[in-house]
Amino acid sequence: MTPSHNFCGSHEHDLSRRSFLGGLSAVGAGLLGTSGAVNTFAADGLNAALKKGNKRVILLWLAGGASQLETWDPKPGVPTGGPFADIPTDIPGVHISELMPKMAKRMKHSCLIRSLNTKDGGHGGGADLMLRGRRDEPTLKYPDLGAVVAKELGRMDSQVPDYVNFYTSTEGRGSAKTTPGFLGARYGAINLHDGKKLSLPNIEKLESITKGDHEARADLRNFLSSRFDQGRGLSAVKSHAAAYARVHGLMSCEKLFDISDEPQHIRDMYGPTQFAEQTIMARRMVEAGVPFVRVSRAWWDSHGQNFETHLEMVPELDRVLSALIDDLKQRGMLEDTLVVTMGEFGRTPKINGSLGRDHFATAWSASLHGGRTVPGAVYGKTDAHGNRVVEGEIGAGEMFATILEAAGIDHTREYHVGARPIPLVNPGIKPVTEVIA
Amino acid sequence: MDRPLNTNFVSKKELNHKHIAFSMARVPGSGHYYHGASDSGVYQVDHADEKPEAKRFTAEGHSSYILGTALNSRHLFTGGWDKNLIWWDRETGKAVRKQKAHGKWLRGVEVSPCGKQLATVSDDMVCRIWSTETGSLLAELKGHEAQTPNNYPSMLFCARYSPDGSRLATGDKVGHVVIWDTESFKPLQTLDAPGHYTWDPSARRHSIGGLRSIAFSPDGKQMYTGGIHKIGNVDHLGAKARLEIFDLETHESLAVLSGSDKCKGLVEHIEFESDGKWVVAGGGDHKGWLMFIDPSQPKIIREVPLPMHVHEFNLNEVGNQIFTVGHEKSVRLDLQV
Repeated sequence: MTPSHNFCGSHEHDLSRRSFLGGLSAVGAGLLGTSGAVNTFAADGLNAALKKGNKRVILLWLAGGASQLETWDPKPGVPTGGPFADIPTDIPGVHISELMPKMAKRMKHSCLIRSLNTKDGGHGGGADLMLRGRRDEPTLKYPDLGAVVAKELGRMDSQVPDYVNFYTSTEGRGSAKTTPGFLGARYGAINLHDGKKLSLPNIEKLESITKGDHEARADLRNFLSSRFDQGRGLSAVKSHAAAYARVHGLMSCEKLFDISDEPQHIRDMYGPTQFAEQTIMARRMVEAGVPFVRVSRAWWDSHGQNFETHLEMVPELDRVLSALIDDLKQRGMLEDTLVVTMGEFGRTPKINGSLGRDHFATAWSASLHGGRTVPGAVYGKTDAHGNRVVEGEIGAGEMFATILEAAGIDHTREYHVGARPIPLVNPGIKPVTEVIA
Repeated sequence: MDRPLNTNFVSKKELNHKHIAFSMARVPGSGHYYHGASDSGVYQVDHADEKPEAKRFTAEGHSSYILGTALNSRHLFTGGWDKNLIWWDRETGKAVRKQKAHGKWLRGVEVSPCGKQLATVSDDMVCRIWSTETGSLLAELKGHEAQTPNNYPSMLFCARYSPDGSRLATGDKVGHVVIWDTESFKPLQTLDAPGHYTWDPSARRHSIGGLRSIAFSPDGKQMYTGGIHKIGNVDHLGAKARLEIFDLETHESLAVLSGSDKCKGLVEHIEFESDGKWVVAGGGDHKGWLMFIDPSQPKIIREVPLPMHVHEFNLNEVGNQIFTVGHEKSVRLDLQV
């Protein structure tokens, strides 16, 4: 990572959470602050084989459920196919919707999964399942994807957030809640909901304190803390100091949200919409070291006028996603950044009387780009009408495991809640190895 | 003698078909019509048959939904989301000309009252005028913005000639109407009916609606525009049907008419009874309806539910039969005297 990638200006970004913990193997779990009952040291930090580079994840969450037939798995010419044609891509034999001409030229950087059967066609249940990979147990709340990635790829000493979620539309926000589950609040998302003023909440410097005073107070606190710690080496002091440093760092991250300094050609590439601007912010964040950013684009729930809705929203997705891929590639970040598009489900092949498509979790698609994915791979197949999966059927668990592996996280890892080992995915769940390089 | 204001149409013949019928054109003086369908086919139905049914008229031709169907004495014209305009010989059913008419999805095809001009509208936001005699492009009418104010693609949904053929109106997604001179092809006036367009900036961040239908009054002094009222939940066609009436001399909006709770969804088509005594509008959400309007008041005087979303209909010359086409069904309604 080049120095220019570090918005918060700290070389400490180069210190990974795992290596940091590796050097502190004797330190107790209390160092991890709010991780609660989790014994995060049980399998953490010491396994160098798990270190696979500074991967990042951007999830473009297509809230409400985008139609696979109008995006990644078109079926032109059949009654369920709708009016749009398919177009060839830069991967021979692979066609996608004509609404995605830009992505058609970038399939060599993409991989499609066309065989999701996730069995839950409800917004809340579907979102929970896709974001956690499994159902909660009565006594155990599982962390969502962002929290797991934050824990695995975040840095103990990071001065940027570990998990940021943009969800500025109101519809579906409650259905696709972020949750750190048993990992605790340390890995919870910073949720950004205000579409007019995007910034980290509650971190603004008080107007009554000058910047100089602010810095002087920090220096004084560091001085006193260091002097107190001399000869003591107390973990509590280190934790205390780390917490202050983190907050101080977060306060300096305001510039991540200010895209006015992005070159105009970059902004033009993404487009003028809110989704475009938030995706630029997401790129700035992963560039600055944020391990997981979800940009939630709501709302795709096209029960009426599916084709008009997708005429509006798919070209926007096409532009934003292709721009993000190009932008990451130009910055040399694509191999280290996994971009995922998915929602809680897809949409019915059957076209209803309002020319809409309804909820459909039986045979739908997601896309992966960059990270450890196999460029140009297409996994799974639906039947000629898109009604069911005929090859390579996978569920939410397999998708979750695949995303983890594509982000360089070993899906077989375990956490411990008390004495109980908790695997990252349920037993027996395997990633789609065909799409992992 | 004045015709009585009788709109007591009742459903007489219901035809089921597997396709969605989006557009239609009736042979004058008959119950024989053609409709363009979701399976790329053109079908014909003749209610003079003992058992009317939708029969495939054409073989190959289009490769997507056919949203525009029109005819003159020699040809049938169809346009679709494959961007193509096809000229069919009505006698043989053979395609005599096929041309890529637009750069984006073709939404409508209209023939002028004299039968010599053909207008096509598309999401490239251009209305093209063609000679039905030579097939040549006569004019490109550009008066609609490509983007909505929210930076999303706009759509040019409809076009309609005035009864005397001197003017052509085009209407788009945000409710903008341009009225064109059909000789000079210059714009004569513009109107705006933004009440047909719903943009949700906060909850769902997409739009729905748009100006879907236009009709001039027989005297050419008024224009009816059809669409849907503002919608709270843009995922559905859950708002009441909406008609906005304009005075073309003063450019003023004269009235906004609303369907009842039983008439929700889009107004897809509007027709005046030949002497202008009443107006009929058709459309729907999941289901469909026809609404009858007394233009002298103006107010909706009757609503007739139908089993399917009505995409287009045609009122016969004597005003006693209405042929509707729509979602997997077609229905003929007869006037009860």
